[in-house]
Amino acid sequence: MSVLLSVDDLRTSFFTSRGEVQAVRGVSFELRPGEILGIVGESGSGKSITCMSLLGLLKANGKVIGGSARFEGRDLLQLDERDLRKLRGDQIGMIFQDPMTSLNPTLTVGEQVMETILRHRRISRAEARKRAIELFELVRIPSAAKRLRSYPHEFSGGMRQRVMIAMALSCDPKLLIADEPTTALDVTIQRQILALLKELQSRLGMAVILITHDLGVIAETADRVLVMYGGMVMEEAPVRRIFAWPSHPYTRGLLASIPNLRDGTHQRLTPIPGSPPDMRRPPEGCPFAPRCPNAMAQCVSALPPIYEVEAGHGSRCWLHHAQAPRVGGINEAVPA
Amino acid sequence: MSDTPLIELRNLTKHFTLSSGLFGRGKVVLRAVDGVDLTINRGETLGLVGESGCGKSTLARTLIRLFQPTSGEMRFDGTDIAELDERQLAPFRRRMQMIFQDPYASLNGRMTVRDLVAEPLEIAGIGDAASRRARVDELLARVGLNPDHATRFPHEFSGGQRQRIGIARAIALNPELVICDEPISALDVSIQAQVVNMLEDLQDEFGLTYLFITHDLSMVRHISDRIGVMYLGKIVELAPNEALYRAPAHPYTQALLASIPVADPTARRDVVPMRGEIPTAIDIASGCRFRTRCPFATDLCTSAEPPLRELDGGHFAACHYADRVMARQMEVA
Repeated sequence: MSVLLSVDDLRTSFFTSRGEVQAVRGVSFELRPGEILGIVGESGSGKSITCMSLLGLLKANGKVIGGSARFEGRDLLQLDERDLRKLRGDQIGMIFQDPMTSLNPTLTVGEQVMETILRHRRISRAEARKRAIELFELVRIPSAAKRLRSYPHEFSGGMRQRVMIAMALSCDPKLLIADEPTTALDVTIQRQILALLKELQSRLGMAVILITHDLGVIAETADRVLVMYGGMVMEEAPVRRIFAWPSHPYTRGLLASIPNLRDGTHQRLTPIPGSPPDMRRPPEGCPFAPRCPNAMAQCVSALPPIYEVEAGHGSRCWLHHAQAPRVGGINEAVPA
Repeated sequence: MSDTPLIELRNLTKHFTLSSGLFGRGKVVLRAVDGVDLTINRGETLGLVGESGCGKSTLARTLIRLFQPTSGEMRFDGTDIAELDERQLAPFRRRMQMIFQDPYASLNGRMTVRDLVAEPLEIAGIGDAASRRARVDELLARVGLNPDHATRFPHEFSGGQRQRIGIARAIALNPELVICDEPISALDVSIQAQVVNMLEDLQDEFGLTYLFITHDLSMVRHISDRIGVMYLGKIVELAPNEALYRAPAHPYTQALLASIPVADPTARRDVVPMRGEIPTAIDIASGCRFRTRCPFATDLCTSAEPPLRELDGGHFAACHYADRVMARQMEVA
């Protein structure tokens, strides 16, 4: 099967007055055309920094220090700022958590959408305007032509996110990177935006990387899931599999931490003890070992590789080693 | 224990007057809390849910008199505290405490953890320095922090630990009511469960009553005994939590519950997204305030405001068609 984006051993650090923060420590994954890849993880897991590294949007003190990211035959990590600018908003669209910070408050949204189109396409202003109206209709902003003349503050949070989506889609991207696109929205509006994203994705056939901390959003939207922790991918699997048969103790811990909506009983939650690692001094072994209920001596001293527990299902845990002790649910026989 | 409910709100309102127009000459009224009746019993957890702008946080802040109510009654253990002055209010303030969403913003960064947790004791004039010190150590241990954390500053802690400091402060004076305003929203998933379990333990141990405000509809079901749903300043549904999730009787509650993303990829997804946006509390529709987004609205909903009425055993809803909505017999208008 063809691959749209292939990330290999991406490493990104931030150089701060208090030392080097190793935000991304060797992330690899592939994305196929038309696929929705969910990246789930908690704050500091490296999920957003992974995507910012691909887009060349790291803050000044951040630096990609290794790896490659092949997109359409080119390594994104080797492109200069000029080429990256050409790519962003054209072949790769982006939307972020807070649309207000990504929009210019002094320009009408119409001017901003048209500007994006004109930057990438050699067409007249009239044609760009026509395209902008089409896009507003596509994302279902009512009275599209009229709303082009509005300023960002005149829109609600949900409508602003629709504007951002329209802008991201303006040049028919092959890849859309959506970083917590519904986190700041109310639940009924989140529902509208997720439905819109899914519909547009299947209609336009683009691939999507959806970054979120919300396992519910992942379950409803993604085809395949990466679970990140401590700057690394801990588990990777098709979405049904990750919920039905989580194989990494961290993924299992995350799922046990959230209340089960279908189960009415007041079952006590099972939290993950402790807190995430300090990425200035990441643990030598498995980053999750200090909080892991199944940790062994080996886990503290050496980083486990990713074991393929099933075709397309990988898990970075020593328990998958042939000589590891048997632990219920993690390394016992896995149903296909 | 007396039978008097800990909290009784009768037609409580909190309106804000805002200036409008270029020179601020126009005045508009924002009806943030617009006639709330609510009882909170001792030892229970009442969950309050709703989307941004529904008035749930304003209600909480009015209840602890950070805001002066515009009208209505606000009884705490039988005494109406709506009109009390600061001096009269002091003994009541001690009995109700609040935990905020962002503990970092609510903790003074220049104070050590010891001073932060001792502060409420000092303000209330409880004990001498030595006994307060002992009490702080006891509180820190109770919320799962080490004694050597006491000399550190808030910025040295993670979000979950800061929330523990906030909780230690809130329980320092042995309050009866603790208002938890989005206490876990800013925390990571793995930490949320730690904090929720701790809140449950503290409730068991000290008999606390919680008003738990959140937009997280999964967590509120887990932690609450009863749940109130707010929409544009009013409670539109109030029910024991299982009844609410099993048989929601207000169309807004139905839409809200159907919108929750479920962490199960095999779950059925036949949800029609609710239409429209949340209106502001400035121009509230006549009749039923939800009618502009309601799929079932009729002429009656435009002309008459539905009262919050009891359907069965403690299940209340403010909808003219609540019985049919609950039985899912309504036709989309």
